[in-house]
Amino acid sequence: MAVSGFEGFEKRLELHFFGDDPVMNMDNMGLRLLDFDSLVKVLNAVQCTVVSAVGNQYFDAYVLSESSLFVYPTKIIIKTCGTTQLLKSIPPLLHYACNLGLTLCSCKYTRGSFIFPKSQPFPHTSFKEEVIYIEDKLPPNLCYRKATVMPSKMTSHSWHVFTASDQANLISDAYTVEVCMTELDRVLARKFFQPAGDGKTGDVAGKEMTKLTGIGEINPGSIICDFAFDPCGYSMNGIDNDRYSTIHVTPEDGFSYASYECVGSIFDDPCDLAHALKKVVQVFRPATLSIATTCTSREVWTSVGHALEPLGLKCRSFAVDEFPAAGSVVFQTFTARRK
Amino acid sequence: MAEEGQVIACHTVEVWKEQLEKEKESKKLIVVDFTASWCPPCRFIAPILAEFAKKMPHVTFLKVDVDELTTVAEEWEVEAMPTFIFLKEGKLVDKVIGAKKEELQQSIEKHAVVAAA
Repeated sequence: MAVSGFEGFEKRLELHFFGDDPVMNMDNMGLRLLDFDSLVKVLNAVQCTVVSAVGNQYFDAYVLSESSLFVYPTKIIIKTCGTTQLLKSIPPLLHYACNLGLTLCSCKYTRGSFIFPKSQPFPHTSFKEEVIYIEDKLPPNLCYRKATVMPSKMTSHSWHVFTASDQANLISDAYTVEVCMTELDRVLARKFFQPAGDGKTGDVAGKEMTKLTGIGEINPGSIICDFAFDPCGYSMNGIDNDRYSTIHVTPEDGFSYASYECVGSIFDDPCDLAHALKKVVQVFRPATLSIATTCTSREVWTSVGHALEPLGLKCRSFAVDEFPAAGSVVFQTFTARRK
Repeated sequence: MAEEGQVIACHTVEVWKEQLEKEKESKKLIVVDFTASWCPPCRFIAPILAEFAKKMPHVTFLKVDVDELTTVAEEWEVEAMPTFIFLKEGKLVDKVIGAKKEELQQSIEKHAVVAAA
């Protein structure tokens, strides 16, 4: 393994707000009213920039220089990789949200295990440090708090979760699936390198990669914003009505990594998620992969396992934990069977 | 009358039709920005589009607010903002969905060049 390289593993922050006006009507844009300059200031604190953006009637999706940002009227999700300082977005976000009449009601921070933990800047030097930092920045009304490291049988894959909420229980039909893949198939990973000197720009090269790698077939109904980085790497956001999906790829040998994340509802056909996950695995053929599902229902994680077993991936570990107002987080790891 | 070097906002269906008719004859490339006042990604790309309009007087840049001209937005199947459509002689030649500066620039250059040749 390389001594140091690009950190593919993302940090992910999800914040939920409620408005002064209890009835959120169609005109109520909430966080989407945050002006672009304020958004840039938040991203400056994290140390990343906007690469492209698209919105529909439900939300806005941004591809960042380091991963992605999604803004809904009362919810914001920021996911950043590399040596970004994601948690530094909390104070400015709370400030701007307050100006819009929005109050924080829940916070969730998740990440895998960094490949290069020593390269991480403050406050990401350790999970303990991260939790201390978040707890200090959160308002006291978020009194139901929990921090856990969910283990697997491999030291290289564990799932760090911190949640905080102003209530103990929350009924929601939504689920989130976060997939982290390492040791990608070398031949497939090469597709995420731009040929030297072909003069193509990031958007255009990204569009080609989406088509060439089969990423475009994962969620065929979605509108895709894609970007290829120079000399290698790839990011995309897919938007489909009120749902998003996102993929980020660090293809370099020795620390190759790809992530896939999507959201859905427990009332969806479980076959849709299984289909998407199968396609994702076929795009990258990772030697190791972890899946974290956050949900109130068992259906979601059982369909995950059933989808991957036929592709030659074996479930090596399974951990489940309950979080106040977030539901159950199920963390599973899979490895490819020996060829 | 529309001025060269600017993004022309079409606030009524009449103005929109008038603009299309005008350019049908000239065979000029038309780039239409489907935007919404509430859409932050649209605000991200607006100054970039204005810059393109200034630099490329040989291309007509139009702007349509999807809430103002809902029928036009429906006709061109606009589902996400911003959406850019490229028209030549009234026909759709290309489409870019999302605020993507480079893809937008390359598409404009590609279609504008063919017109000049």
